[in-house]
Amino acid sequence: MMSTLYKHRRQLSVGAVYLAMLGLLAVLRPDFFHKQFLGVFIESAPVLICAVGMTWVILARQIDISIGSQFSVCGVLAGVAAQMHAPMVVVVIVALLAGGLFGAVNGFLVGFVELPSIVVTLAMMVLLRESLSWIRQGEEVNQLPDYFQWFGSTQQIGQWIILIVAVLIWMKFFFASRYSTAGRSVFAVGSDFEAARLAGLRPRHVTFAVFVLMGILTGVAALLNAIRFPSVDVKFGTGVELKVIAAVVIGGTAISGGRGSFIGSLLGVLLLGTIGSMLLFLASNHPGATYWERAVQGIIILAAVATDALERKRPA
Amino acid sequence: MPIRLDAKSLQQAVLAQLLIVELVLFAVLSGSFLKVGNFLTVLRNSADLGLIALAMTTVIVTGGIDLSVGSLMGLCAVMFGKLWRDAHVPWPIAALLAMVIGLVGGVINAGAIARLKIHPLIVTLATFSLYRGIAEGITGGADNFTHFPQSFLAVFGGQPARIPIQLPVLILAVAAFYLLLHRSTIGRALSTIGYSPDGARYAGINVERTVAIPYILSGLMASISALLYAARVDQVKADVGIDYELAAITAVVLGGTSIFGGRATIIGTVLGLFAIRLLENGLHMADPARLGFSTHQLAPQLAGIATSALLLVAIGLDHRTRKVRSVARIVTQELDMKNSQIAVLCAVILAAALIVVGGNFVLINGITKNSAGQTVHVAIDGTAAAARVTDDGSAKSAAPGASALARVAHPITIGMMPKSVGNPYFIACKKGAVEAADALGDTLLWDGPTGSDPGKQNEIVETWINRGVDVIAVSADNAAGISTALREARARGIKVLTWDADAEPDARDFTIVQATPEGIGSALMDNAAKVMDGKGSFAIITASLTAANQNEWMKFIEKQRAAKYPDIQMKVVRPCDDQKDKAYSEANAILNSFPDVKLILAISSAAVPGAAEAVKQSGRTDVHVVGLGLPNENKPYVKAGITPAVILWNTMDLGYLTVVASQALKDGTLKPGATSLDSGKLGKLKVDGSNVMLGMPFVFNKDNIDGFDF
Repeated sequence: MMSTLYKHRRQLSVGAVYLAMLGLLAVLRPDFFHKQFLGVFIESAPVLICAVGMTWVILARQIDISIGSQFSVCGVLAGVAAQMHAPMVVVVIVALLAGGLFGAVNGFLVGFVELPSIVVTLAMMVLLRESLSWIRQGEEVNQLPDYFQWFGSTQQIGQWIILIVAVLIWMKFFFASRYSTAGRSVFAVGSDFEAARLAGLRPRHVTFAVFVLMGILTGVAALLNAIRFPSVDVKFGTGVELKVIAAVVIGGTAISGGRGSFIGSLLGVLLLGTIGSMLLFLASNHPGATYWERAVQGIIILAAVATDALERKRPA
Repeated sequence: MPIRLDAKSLQQAVLAQLLIVELVLFAVLSGSFLKVGNFLTVLRNSADLGLIALAMTTVIVTGGIDLSVGSLMGLCAVMFGKLWRDAHVPWPIAALLAMVIGLVGGVINAGAIARLKIHPLIVTLATFSLYRGIAEGITGGADNFTHFPQSFLAVFGGQPARIPIQLPVLILAVAAFYLLLHRSTIGRALSTIGYSPDGARYAGINVERTVAIPYILSGLMASISALLYAARVDQVKADVGIDYELAAITAVVLGGTSIFGGRATIIGTVLGLFAIRLLENGLHMADPARLGFSTHQLAPQLAGIATSALLLVAIGLDHRTRKVRSVARIVTQELDMKNSQIAVLCAVILAAALIVVGGNFVLINGITKNSAGQTVHVAIDGTAAAARVTDDGSAKSAAPGASALARVAHPITIGMMPKSVGNPYFIACKKGAVEAADALGDTLLWDGPTGSDPGKQNEIVETWINRGVDVIAVSADNAAGISTALREARARGIKVLTWDADAEPDARDFTIVQATPEGIGSALMDNAAKVMDGKGSFAIITASLTAANQNEWMKFIEKQRAAKYPDIQMKVVRPCDDQKDKAYSEANAILNSFPDVKLILAISSAAVPGAAEAVKQSGRTDVHVVGLGLPNENKPYVKAGITPAVILWNTMDLGYLTVVASQALKDGTLKPGATSLDSGKLGKLKVDGSNVMLGMPFVFNKDNIDGFDF
């Protein structure tokens, strides 16, 4: 029992912090649960989808900091396709294909050329961001056809589509991480590359695959984010990589690979997604509180991961 | 061990060759690149990043990373300013205390990493938020520290005999870090830990204590960088050091330090740093017209694109050579292999350079066609818009004395800088500027920062001084900060204008006023009050908490509110980072948290449509948006009645007027005491003191917005 608790201490502590925040809101600002609660979920959906991909990447002992730029480019490409009156199916394919392509480039350089992922994706991040800024000059993609926003349905249905897609993706990969051969092979490669190879897996292919998956999921997230709006801004997704990586590592996925959980990533996303609006609700009488928000965010992250300090005292 | 050293020197040879290629390339592309003065400028502007990169090398050699340095630098900078200005601490003590804060910041990182054993990426990701957050918190984002004592400026940023103080500082730091990393037992220990922490422990190294050292050094260097920055720019606020961590990591890795730890080189870091900085500088200086191209500049985004391409090529080569090396060890023909390797690498580097040049050729041709196409389009657009405004008579009276611009006898070079490139607001300005420059026959350089590092505008102005432009026209992102560089430009005999956002009055000859901060602030508040019927509460969505202009406007919004609308309350200010989706989220949260808020005042151009979309989706009809934005992206919301008023000026005219005024300033027709300026199609415009008046801010509403297309 104790060892189970110990094993999941990060998820437990993050979950506890999240529940404490909700509890505080329930007592002080119950109206938070009226609309904002659901709003946080919808806004967090694209982040969650990216976090699922990132969990795989980090489990494989890699990292991808280019997803913010990928996110922007995929969104803009989807917008451009819609602007040219391509059918929605084509728009979806464009976004996914673009993400998959960027992921494949990252995956090739990391998996087969064996370059360090943080450097490859740092270069990719700057490359995509600056190219986009150069080509679009900051101009949004507008005058999109009616079938773009909310996939042409109503706002209500559109929001549920976003939520359900995100939850389905999360569930699919949550189960895959536990019960599928492919999922377990990522854990194996992340724990010990050489041992995984000797055990008959193909670690380079696995590495390539997680980056492609990351790219495709980024494409999905970019699309689901974009369809909430009648036009696509070139800055959609800027900085999302930090949010996503923070959520995944807070959730207990080890940077050193091979260890982590999708429940943790989900909790990390919810925690980070809620901090901002929680402060807005709790400090609604103090306009100056906004300026301390980042400091509070830093402290909450530190508090949520401080249980790692227990590691020294108990052998794993 | 000799093999490892060989691999390092090989990487350095590659980088040294890269530097030579850059020097040759830009010497050909620019007449003033290969001058001592220009190199001193690059050096002066690179030292603060250099110190951080040096410390980052020692962090990365242990297999760690420090993402918090840029934020810590910002915190140290504002603490120094706060202590000196508000606590009246003499500056040497304030500087010392700032260094203590840097040390403490480093110790916090080191403690969490070494003692609590939390992964460095997690710790520094958290302190990245924490340190920047404290800096924003204590300054309220807006507080600006400037006009530091002369003695401070001399000690940390002086240039005795034109040699910047940064040169000895950097040399000293490089020597110290070289000794630490390559010639001391600590350096060996750090490197050993990077290869294998467990191995290091068995070798008798106190891993916990040793691993803490680089993070503490990193904090200390961040504080010294902050002081160098403060003295160089003579201004600090909470946004100092943004993006420094990534720039430093890029320099370190480009220099040949392994991101996995273990293998590091200080000389490589220095070479990597200057490879990046000279590339940036060279791209600003490059004048492709010297090679017969029809354009006078390269796109500023090329700097980032080229740097990341170089990074990939460099680590790719490094990886290859190390693979070949392990083969070479077996063959034992090590020396021969090495020579051939170098030959191959030289060939690859030259080929890469040729590809870059070839790429540029294609790209430049692309740009030229593009901008030519735009110009024609603009001319039509511009007149159409002007005509329509004039027709309904509400915008401005028909320009008296309007005339076409004639080509000038002595064309000049005008360096015109927006706050950032790739921003739709400034693109409209650029259209107007290009139109005027083409008519006059002048050369227009349009260059600006691509990221959010607040020191970049200064660097570009300094590049232009070295390049020798006739007039510099700047939209100041940081009034006090940019003034330091503009004063130097004036001292060198360059005429200086500000447009869109003014610098300090003594730093420029004239300013183009499209609207004063006071005018904008009260226009926003008045329009908001009109929509709110003079009562109720509203919320503000701003660009970022440290955005200088927005903070200035907010001051006047509050002033106007306090003076004229006592029944209106301001509930909260939220930042949207100039992102439409973030503005949407913030507006949504505001609507849910403050049911009594009846109006959102959006004072960043991305915030207006973002907030309007949130209001639309909430289905609330009692909430409205008023803001400062471009007509095109707001049309649907203005027509739907969600956004009753969008305030702005004709941005194309603003760019046009800036170029016309630059020419007049150089010709001497615009000089102190002038009362009017002949402004081509804009007619005779009023000059009031050192202000050239474009006109009043304009309110776009349902009835007139269709007449505008930008």
